[in-house]
Amino acid sequence: MKIAIPVYGESVSNVFDFARTLLLVDIENGKETNRSEMVLEGRFLSQRAVQLKKLGADVLVCGAISQELATMVLSSGIVVIPYVTGTIADVLNAYLAGQMVSAEFRMPDYKSGAPRGPGRRRRCCRWQGGRR
Amino acid sequence: MKKTEQNVILQSISEGVFTVDLDWRINSFNRAAEEITGIPRQDAIGKYCRDVLRADICESGCTLAETMRTGKPIMNKAVQIIDANGKRKALAISTALFKDSRGKVIGGVETFRDTSAMEQLRKEIAGRYSCEDIISQSHTMQTLFAILPNIAESNTTTLIEGESGTGKELFARAIHTLSFRKDKPFVAVNCGALPDTLLESELFGYKAGAFTDAKKDKPGRFALAEGGTIFLDEIGDISVSVQVKLLRVLQDKTYERVGGISPVKADVRIITATNKKLDQLVKEGKFRDDLYYRINVMKLELPPLRDRKEDIPILVEHFIARFNRLHNKNICCVTGEVTTALLSYDYPGNIRELENIIEHCFVLCEGEIIEIKHLPSSMRPVLEDKLAQDSEPATIKQVELALIKQALKRNKGNKTAAARQLGINKSTLFRKMKALDIDKSES
Repeated sequence: MKIAIPVYGESVSNVFDFARTLLLVDIENGKETNRSEMVLEGRFLSQRAVQLKKLGADVLVCGAISQELATMVLSSGIVVIPYVTGTIADVLNAYLAGQMVSAEFRMPDYKSGAPRGPGRRRRCCRWQGGRR
Repeated sequence: MKKTEQNVILQSISEGVFTVDLDWRINSFNRAAEEITGIPRQDAIGKYCRDVLRADICESGCTLAETMRTGKPIMNKAVQIIDANGKRKALAISTALFKDSRGKVIGGVETFRDTSAMEQLRKEIAGRYSCEDIISQSHTMQTLFAILPNIAESNTTTLIEGESGTGKELFARAIHTLSFRKDKPFVAVNCGALPDTLLESELFGYKAGAFTDAKKDKPGRFALAEGGTIFLDEIGDISVSVQVKLLRVLQDKTYERVGGISPVKADVRIITATNKKLDQLVKEGKFRDDLYYRINVMKLELPPLRDRKEDIPILVEHFIARFNRLHNKNICCVTGEVTTALLSYDYPGNIRELENIIEHCFVLCEGEIIEIKHLPSSMRPVLEDKLAQDSEPATIKQVELALIKQALKRNKGNKTAAARQLGINKSTLFRKMKALDIDKSES
């Protein structure tokens, strides 16, 4: 399994849309087997989603992400775990231990019931296929 | 001034304001900041400002850090953020040092205002669009988005095919904006709108004395687009004589002005578009095959809206936001009936027609929700026919059954795509299929 994490220094980058570096971690049997860092292509959203797919990422662990980009990544079949904050080491350990929902790794205003990806659609102005 | 009074003022101003301590943790956050970022005050306090503001400059040139380093305030820096709902917003931010009563620096202050509406207006006026401005989540469009940057970088002649209203000019502008020519002009010409004789002088310009009333030299569109991109729309409508001259521009990168004797060099990228099938026109002898092969180096085929109905919800949302800004209204959404109606319609005029439908609704809607009565009357008979096709009398259950079956059929049994098109979750679709007794094999 490949986990992609947009990073800034030793931390998870705060917004995937604006991040410049991507860390790709290979996981086998719950253990890290390899990791590599690369430059995130371009500043255009579609390029980022395509790059993740080309790299064979299965999961994207990231900070904030725009709805447009989340939709593109999700439609590539990649699981998105958004609104994550913290150091790379702590976040990876938490992921491997299945503790990603822990509050210390969540950006402000994150609700655990929020959909993974295109943001929370909680306001009535979101068009969700009709009146709510 | 007392602290409580300061607080009242801070909470009442329309600009977002927050302060951070020397560890970059937020220690005050006003009401406008809550509105702009979508993050409640109690969630923001104590958190790192980069996790709350989520701006493009946080990791590439934080203005607050610069102010803290230099001691100088920064005014109205344009930035982009992602708010709590995953929406991109344009902000103008200003930063300053935060000092205590003795003048000791205890942190920083950041003030910001939402300039998204102004930015959108500026974009519309200047016509500077990128692929981020083309709204779609359909798989076909995502494939096009993926190759768009490569096409833009390549500088090759590009042909865009698609029905009227599918966004051909938007794609051409996006290619221009993504290319190295982005700071040079983008010139769009609708070849179908100009008579043959006028088109030639319009494209290539003319010399004084070339014809009656040509009193002085006039530069053509190619000259105006020098260094940039020329977009020739409705290329299938040009005459054979203009086709020959265009061929020369493509082959030799030169053209002659009407009445001119010396060739002019052209450094212009050519993007063409048509709503006709050019290969068919070549077969019929109406379009030169050598020109066709020259302009068809890269071809983008834009799908009609009826083939990407999953985009209708986000397009409707986009148009509602746009017309709210233009008409100064506060419409929030459409009813379920309208949703059904919009998803059932075939849109011969594509996205432009959907945009017109929403604008029509805006004119008639006085409340906050667009209802079926606000839809154009020309659309209603088609919808009534569609809904009455399989069932009479039509109960909600029957309509749901028909819509789900249609969506499954349209998507060849792909339930994820069908659910997206219907604007419901996959699990909701499964629940409804079970409740309505729709056989999985049937889909």
